[in-house]
Amino acid sequence: MSTNELGHLIKMANQIASNIGVGVSEEDAVDRVVTHISMFWARPMREKVCANIETSADELNPTATKALKQIRAKL
Amino acid sequence: MLQRSDTINPDSTSFNQADSAAKIAEPQIFDPRTDLDPEMDYGTPAPTNDPTPISELITLSIDGTEVRVPKGTSVMRAATMAGINIPKLCATDSLEAFGSCRLCLVQIEGRRGFPASCTTPAEEGMEVKTQNEKVANLRRNVMEMYISDHPLDCLTCSANGDCELQDMAGVVGLRNVRYGYDGNNHLDAEKDTSNPYFTFDPSKCIVCSRCVRACEETQGTFALTISSRGFDSKVSPGQDQPFMDSECVSCGACVQVCPTATLSEKSIIDKGQPDHSVITTCAYCGVGCAFKADMKGDEVVRMTPWKGGKANRGHSCVKGRFAFGYATHGDRITSPMIRESIDQPWRKVSYEEAFTFAADRIKGIQKQYGRNSVGGITSSRCTNEETYLVQKLVRAAFGNNNVDTCARVCHSPTGFGLKTTFGESAGTQTFDSVEKTDVMMVIGANPTDAHPVFGSRMKKRLREGAKLIVVDPRSIDLVDGPHVKADYHLKLRPGTNVAFINAMAHVIVDEGLEAKESIAERCDVEAFEVWKKFISDKRHSPEETEQYSGIPAADIRAAARLYATGGNSAIYYGLGVTEHSQGSSMVMGIANLAMLTNNIGREGVGVNPLRGQNNVQGSCDMGSFPHELPGYRHISGQEVRDQFEKAWGVTLDSEPGYRITNMLDAAVEGTYKGLYVQGEDIAQSDPNTHHVEEALRNMECLIVQDIFLNETAKFAHVFLPGSSFLEKDGTFTNAERRISPVRKVMSPLGELSDWEVTLGLSKALGYEMHYNHPSEIMDEIASLTPTFANVSYDRLDKEGSLQWPCNDESPNGTPIMHIDEFTRGKGYFALTEYVPTEEKVTKRFPMLLTTGRILSQYNVGAQTRRTENSSWHGEDVLEIHPHDAEDRGINNGDKISLASRAGDTHLRALVTSRMQPGVVYTTFHHPESGANVITTDNSDWATNCPEYKVTAVQVSKVANAEESSEWQEKFAEFTKKQIAFLDV
Repeated sequence: MSTNELGHLIKMANQIASNIGVGVSEEDAVDRVVTHISMFWARPMREKVCANIETSADELNPTATKALKQIRAKL
Repeated sequence: MLQRSDTINPDSTSFNQADSAAKIAEPQIFDPRTDLDPEMDYGTPAPTNDPTPISELITLSIDGTEVRVPKGTSVMRAATMAGINIPKLCATDSLEAFGSCRLCLVQIEGRRGFPASCTTPAEEGMEVKTQNEKVANLRRNVMEMYISDHPLDCLTCSANGDCELQDMAGVVGLRNVRYGYDGNNHLDAEKDTSNPYFTFDPSKCIVCSRCVRACEETQGTFALTISSRGFDSKVSPGQDQPFMDSECVSCGACVQVCPTATLSEKSIIDKGQPDHSVITTCAYCGVGCAFKADMKGDEVVRMTPWKGGKANRGHSCVKGRFAFGYATHGDRITSPMIRESIDQPWRKVSYEEAFTFAADRIKGIQKQYGRNSVGGITSSRCTNEETYLVQKLVRAAFGNNNVDTCARVCHSPTGFGLKTTFGESAGTQTFDSVEKTDVMMVIGANPTDAHPVFGSRMKKRLREGAKLIVVDPRSIDLVDGPHVKADYHLKLRPGTNVAFINAMAHVIVDEGLEAKESIAERCDVEAFEVWKKFISDKRHSPEETEQYSGIPAADIRAAARLYATGGNSAIYYGLGVTEHSQGSSMVMGIANLAMLTNNIGREGVGVNPLRGQNNVQGSCDMGSFPHELPGYRHISGQEVRDQFEKAWGVTLDSEPGYRITNMLDAAVEGTYKGLYVQGEDIAQSDPNTHHVEEALRNMECLIVQDIFLNETAKFAHVFLPGSSFLEKDGTFTNAERRISPVRKVMSPLGELSDWEVTLGLSKALGYEMHYNHPSEIMDEIASLTPTFANVSYDRLDKEGSLQWPCNDESPNGTPIMHIDEFTRGKGYFALTEYVPTEEKVTKRFPMLLTTGRILSQYNVGAQTRRTENSSWHGEDVLEIHPHDAEDRGINNGDKISLASRAGDTHLRALVTSRMQPGVVYTTFHHPESGANVITTDNSDWATNCPEYKVTAVQVSKVANAEESSEWQEKFAEFTKKQIAFLDV
């Protein structure tokens, strides 16, 4: 079981994408994930996961990856 | 409407006193729940709890006094409303009339004989005589019979001063007993002292059946009956068993109504009658019962449920009624303490030294690790005012938004889900609303254990004929109880809630049962159309979801039809909904269902989250979440921040802070080093204990404020004494958004109330707050929180309680929400895709564990374990289905190992068919049980609320019954060491 912070953040980002990204266009899905993470995640959490998008590419789902890249651009 | 007053004297109200009508404006409506004095016993219940137009009241004459009452009112009740007290013994206004004692006989013009006033309905034009010689003689004769078989030890009797039998003997003028006392009698009947809180002395029983009826009508347990006949009639718990061996749940309803010393609190037997009482609010579950703290000086000798309490209407449970002894338990820690590290003994110090020590450490940590390296946790067990201060301290003195509350780990999905769909993070109803409910759907809640007083109100409505759908993996008591039986028990597999709720909605849409008109009028139609297309997909049909949820499709179809077409349908839910990886989706799915069927915005319907702790709603309202300020306003909003910045004189961080789970992750990483925890015990209550302990060990400054050295405090560097609810003024907000006063009845054992401790710490941190009394804190809350704008202590004193929103638009509060339109404007149908949890059964862990609570214990048990409530539940056990037990060679009472990928612990097994095969259940009330050693760090996608309700486990028999798990051994050793540190 992954108990490290980055592992949790990746899992959480994927979960968000799987739950609010369904039934809407890819663009809307990414928007929703961006909004959710921006509203509810502390800045250090966003910074940590965004600094590891590339190294965690295998673990992040595509919607989460796109959303995190957008979030990184605004950090 | 008549003005409500707690001290209203019926003699002076205008509706029943024709001669005073000219002095006061004639009211238009008579409301029995607000226009009568809760301190009076009207003998029989109101025929209806609904307000009656004055024009529909009937008029009768009682002893020449004209009185107007609602149709169906008994003559006894009408007389009491007119200020005329007819003698009575078997009657009390919490119970239906029984007519057995024959003391309340009256004469009615034009009628024969002497009818009992309790069972005789008042009629228009009736002329009643309650007193004349004939009646007086009859009453004296009746009393004479009673007293001929009653011990005459009044002076030394525990009920002396509070005995209706004694009072009635006086009222009827009994002067002698012609029969003597030598005949057959019950004076030698044996006393039952088995219950830890009250005694049953049958020698003093007059067999009025009040206790039996209270157990049936008020509590709904049916534990008591009258056994035998005639002279041998006696009150019998169970089948002539001692109380503790019977089905009795020790709610105290029987003790409350007993007119003699037969059922007496042991505390009253020991200490005598109280000399004064203070009305306050229970500090246990989210029902928020109003109690009278019965006092002798500054000692609480009894807690009695207050009839004027709008949440409990005079009822109680074993926790609130009896389990208050923890407040003065010897384990209370009343001095501040500090230590450099958790491997050192504690040092008792002054508050000043403790504050300075804590503040210096916090400042040092922030200097070294950054502003975000510290935070705080507010408590759902503390008052609104205290919670508000802690979040204020974090935001203003720590300078970040790293504040969270234990609602994170219980009802945070409720806040998110209901805000998204309805626009407000709260339940929609009053508890009274259940009286108008035709169909109850109870999902993932066990009200008779976790919200017992409301559970009793539900059972009452069910006995009146309401239908019941229970959605729960376990067979909870509501499924099949005395005179209560679920129409459908949908026994779903843990983790499949969203599949279930989607299937319900699918059926309603599929069969055209949706409320098209109200959807078009009240909801976001565009979103609804998208949702309708989504939910109509075959993958949501019950025939498809059956494979995941295990619920037969036909049962879902039948339940969905009942919910959609059965009249007023209400959903009541608990942590079985929220504590999942899809907790927020499930809450939204519930809201969708209510909107879909127009079951929102009036009495009898709605979405009702049953809150676990007393102030879960309040702690959330007060801005305890890291992303929002009081009143659920996001921290990123400049306008809202401006208001608080101006009031608090600081600049606020516009970024959301860490949630509890994120704080612990960061602590394990080494970037989060300081935490101020008020009234919470995260080491016991939060999931994945190994992870929590690792995080706590990494802290450089853990400040714990609590009444006991709880599990978290064992990892602390600073201990600040907390105060119990009896030691401070404040308010709690219950599950129906009801803000109720908490009143100080004794001085804080640690000298300071909790709010004063927070002020001291804040001052040491360099941010001084000025309040002389919690009422001033509430004034500040009201000035900054639109939904609390008209709340003040003065108004609470006058009204008893208020339900928010309470502002200029709703000056008297808001019992039912979303009546004309939703708070967000149009109701929003959110898409709720079923995403299975990652926590799946495997070959290694083939069963699912779900966790919960039990009636006699409360949350981490810190309070109830320090009372006699442990007589009912001295240890946590693992409930397992007989088939699973047999497969594993496990017998009832065997020690078993419960293991998950997170850890393992040893418990005793309780083999019970309440469980379904493949699912096991335990509680988390005792720290040494280590239930959360087993639970994992899975959490809700939207809020990080932990997935306590689904853990893949294996259960196996332990050869040596004395053997503990590795964690349990370490726990015992660590606890021993930490307790020893107290005594140095």
